[in-house]
Amino acid sequence: MSLAAPAPDKADDILVAAGLNTFYGPSHVLRDVNFRVGRGETVTLLGRNGMGKTTLLRTLIGLVKPKSGAIRLDGVDVTGARACVIARAGMGFVPEGRGIFPNLTVEENLVFAERPGRNGRRDWSRQAVYDIFPRLAERRTNWGNQLSGGEQQMLTIGRALLANPEIVLIDEATEGLAPKVRELIWATLRVIAQKGVAIVVVDKNLEDLVELADRHVILAKGEVVFEGTSAQLRADPEFVKRMLGV
Amino acid sequence: MLKRPPLSVAIFFALLVAFFFVVPVFGGAYAVKFCTRLLILAAFVLSLDLLIGVTGLVSFGHAAFFGVGAYAVYFVSPDDEAANVFVALSAGAALAGLAALVVGALAMLTRGFYFIMVTLAAGQMIFSLFHDTDIAKGSDGAYVNVKPMLVIGGASLVDFSNRSQFYYVCLASLAILYFTLYRLVRSPFGRALQGMRVNETRMAAMGFDSYRFKLAAFVVSGAVAGYAGALFACLDGFVTPELMSWQQSGLAIMMVVLGGGGTLYGPILGALAYASLEELLKTESLVGPFLANHWRLGTGATLILAVLLMPEGLAGFLRRAARKRSETAPALEAPAKAARPARRAKALSTQALARSFGGVVAVGGVTIRFEPNLVHAIIGPNGAGKTTFINLLSGATPPSAGRVKIDDLDVTGWPAHRIARHGLGRSFQRTNIFGSFTVTENCALAAQARAPSPLRLIDAIYRRRDEAAMAHALAVVGLADRAGAIASQLSNGEQRQLEIAMLLASGADLIILDEPLAGMGLEETQRVVALLRNLATDHTIILVEHDMDAVFAAADTLTVLVQGRLLAHGAPAEIRSNEAVLEAYLGGPAKPGAAA
Amino acid sequence: MSLYFVQILNGLQYGLVVFLAASGLTLVFGVLGVINLSHGSFYMLGAYAALTLTSLFGDIFVALALGLPLAFLFGMAIEWLFIRHLYARDHLQQVLLTFALILIFNEVQQSVWGNNPLSIPTPPYLARSVMITGALGYPVYRIVLMAICVALALAMVFVIQKTRVGRLIRAAESNREMVEALGFDSRILFRLVFAAGVALAAAAGILAAPVESAYPGIGDRVLITSFVVVVIGGIGSIRGAFVGSLLIGLADAFGKVLVPQFSSVIIYALMALVLALRPAGLFGRA
Repeated sequence: MSLAAPAPDKADDILVAAGLNTFYGPSHVLRDVNFRVGRGETVTLLGRNGMGKTTLLRTLIGLVKPKSGAIRLDGVDVTGARACVIARAGMGFVPEGRGIFPNLTVEENLVFAERPGRNGRRDWSRQAVYDIFPRLAERRTNWGNQLSGGEQQMLTIGRALLANPEIVLIDEATEGLAPKVRELIWATLRVIAQKGVAIVVVDKNLEDLVELADRHVILAKGEVVFEGTSAQLRADPEFVKRMLGV
Repeated sequence: MLKRPPLSVAIFFALLVAFFFVVPVFGGAYAVKFCTRLLILAAFVLSLDLLIGVTGLVSFGHAAFFGVGAYAVYFVSPDDEAANVFVALSAGAALAGLAALVVGALAMLTRGFYFIMVTLAAGQMIFSLFHDTDIAKGSDGAYVNVKPMLVIGGASLVDFSNRSQFYYVCLASLAILYFTLYRLVRSPFGRALQGMRVNETRMAAMGFDSYRFKLAAFVVSGAVAGYAGALFACLDGFVTPELMSWQQSGLAIMMVVLGGGGTLYGPILGALAYASLEELLKTESLVGPFLANHWRLGTGATLILAVLLMPEGLAGFLRRAARKRSETAPALEAPAKAARPARRAKALSTQALARSFGGVVAVGGVTIRFEPNLVHAIIGPNGAGKTTFINLLSGATPPSAGRVKIDDLDVTGWPAHRIARHGLGRSFQRTNIFGSFTVTENCALAAQARAPSPLRLIDAIYRRRDEAAMAHALAVVGLADRAGAIASQLSNGEQRQLEIAMLLASGADLIILDEPLAGMGLEETQRVVALLRNLATDHTIILVEHDMDAVFAAADTLTVLVQGRLLAHGAPAEIRSNEAVLEAYLGGPAKPGAAA
Repeated sequence: MSLYFVQILNGLQYGLVVFLAASGLTLVFGVLGVINLSHGSFYMLGAYAALTLTSLFGDIFVALALGLPLAFLFGMAIEWLFIRHLYARDHLQQVLLTFALILIFNEVQQSVWGNNPLSIPTPPYLARSVMITGALGYPVYRIVLMAICVALALAMVFVIQKTRVGRLIRAAESNREMVEALGFDSRILFRLVFAAGVALAAAAGILAAPVESAYPGIGDRVLITSFVVVVIGGIGSIRGAFVGSLLIGLADAFGKVLVPQFSSVIIYALMALVLALRPAGLFGRA
């Protein structure tokens, strides 16, 4: 399987990262990573644990500063910018572990970051989220830490949406969730994509991801070892098994 | 680790001592009294550095022990006679040491902010004991009417009411205390204390019982503070409870931090500098009337600037001004290249081992046996409970149910340091070494763990054995040429190698490694894999890893954990073709697109 | 009997004043993670500010109305100048810097107001006693003081539970990183929280001034007691501070009556008891 050369900066890319090198102390976790997402595109980030997926997402949202490399969000250089700046510039973040505030209610969590998006657009409202996730509506007044894993995931996604982002990063979208809930999450992501929001999703359910996404990127030991379409992925199952399986 | 002071500092202190030596010759009564006060203060702050700088315990009640020592002199002094010098001074140290034992026994059960609060409370209670009751005349204070003397055969050898004699006793005391504490901190006992300051978890995992070490440090430190307090009582002949207030404890902490904690000479400098600064700012002829009348503005502002600009204190400032001269590590004899004899290592087995947190099952009923002299790899998708499982094996977390055995010894529920003493060593997910120490010092601590008693004060007894272990360990992992390097400056791979070296040096033959290859490049990975295979001759190795290529190159058995339960255990080839395992990793049907 | 009743009232009044101060401290420690030893100094400065403001404007409540915004602005300045450098530093350096602040504040107090205890007048329309039993009266001002403290406590709970800012504060206490990742500048939040802590301490000092007078050491006692309350109540918990303060207040009041020689150490015994039973405090998160 070939390593696709990094595509040149297209005018309709919402996110472009080039030459990212991130360290945790002396540990070189991301090695010269190039990563781009087109407007409205859904891209998956694949790879086994410890390969750098979470670190890449955290670098993109600005929670971790890369030692070298550049990040551009919607044409604006945000390298080294603080996370709050990048978030307000239109990037939503759904972390591994969900990041629900346990001492706030569901409703308070949901509306926490509610704000209009770029050009004042308001595609998402509280009611819209409750319509997609009726379970959340039922649990409106519960505390954050009283929710099941699936409900927490719905809540985090809803919370990210209410900030009307241009692009959402989702780390471990369906980890530990029952198949029915997984279906709901994928369906929701499709709705989000239809509204033109770009999505970067990390998950291990390859089967579902191949159906969902336009493009896939595989990280191994901090390096990009594959970038291609679902068809290209399907064409080399041995490679996939070696990269993602046992 | 505590090093020999750099040459510039040694010269500076030599000059300082010379200066102090001649003060009584050239200075008047006030100068002598002031300098005596400085010396006593320096001794007090020195004792606090043993706690704060060396052991990392921030005590906010230390002045109480100083005060107890002072009051001890009052207690042993008859109304109209001089007490014996030795009796008075040792009473001070003993009574304060006893108080420290009582307070420390409880305080060592707490950490961090709570430790600060408990020591503060203890200090306040002791203050209240002397202030609100009349065991020693209460808030009025008490007088030592006749200062202690040393009378032998009718001849008075030392008389503390003689200003100059007392001064030289204080100067000598400070010097002796410094050198004694210096040797103590450089001993195995002191090295262990420094290790606990930097990384208490690691020390426990190596087999050190930190409670006993810290309590010993607390008592020694309290006794020295009491000694200083006893001297103070002999200076003025008057003791009050104000000596014990938390404000005094706070001032002492300030001087330690100002001088640079952990160096022993730094806090002495801090005490001298602060007291001199205060005196200077009070002198109208030098700083003008405004500053002299509001000298606390001056000291406050100076301290704030010191914190913001000199985080390492005066000692750090001096060190940086000195030419860089790293203490060369003693050359370690590379062992003769004899092949290591194969030796039966220990087996580790579990029975229905389980752990829950709240209602969540992290590890559910795992029964497994890790055979000796093999490399075992534990794998599993995210959230599978692998680290929790390791914590159960090493004693870092007690199990909710089930048993753990090393060979036939049941170690279920034992604390980490106890299990470590029975031959089990482990590394942690994020590299967990003593970053500020050198490679040799890291290994020395590990080697010391073979005999981790707090009573080890002399190196000589085990030195040969420890040094052989260290040299051997470093040679095996390939770090022998980096012996003098500071650990935090090693590359990631080298740090992981150091961790393994430490486990070897500590004599562990059952070694558990949590993600040892994380963040490593290809070459480093290959080196470590070769090392692990080499070690299997005389060790049992268990590792958690995600790097599948490495796992297949290194491991004799594979164990798959999914959602806390044992899914499969066997030879790598079997596991690879196991359907259930593939599903756990890839989710859904094994081949992508097959079920479309 | 009525003596005990008066003691209970005294204990409650003292506890409520301590609550105001301690709530500021628990917020600062819980959200910012900084040990601030100068917290007592803000209480002291509040008391002395009350002195000056009442001598200018006459009424303690006018002093409060003017003093609070002044204290808030002062707190923002202190945070910007000194405190924000401490977020990345360890506890030791925080202790050292805030201790140095105590020195400076003490010096300012001495220069401006001097060493002698000075009394602050109770507003004349409240300067009488109400008869609570046949023979014993209790000062009306103290009752009003308690009512104000309770009102402020309710207001605080309202702000924390029902407003946007309160939501930010609660969120920052549990997951500061996520708050940043959702687009909120935690630096400004920290400045506001610190300023609020200072304002609360100052408010306590101002309100208690007619009862306690102003003298150089009043900040010290409040500082220690506030820290003990934070330990008992749990770091970051307003509710914990409330319960802890009342416990302390009552323990102190009864201690004075029952075991006068050991009354000042009762609070430490209480703290040790709580630590032994619930190491994270009554309402703390483990």
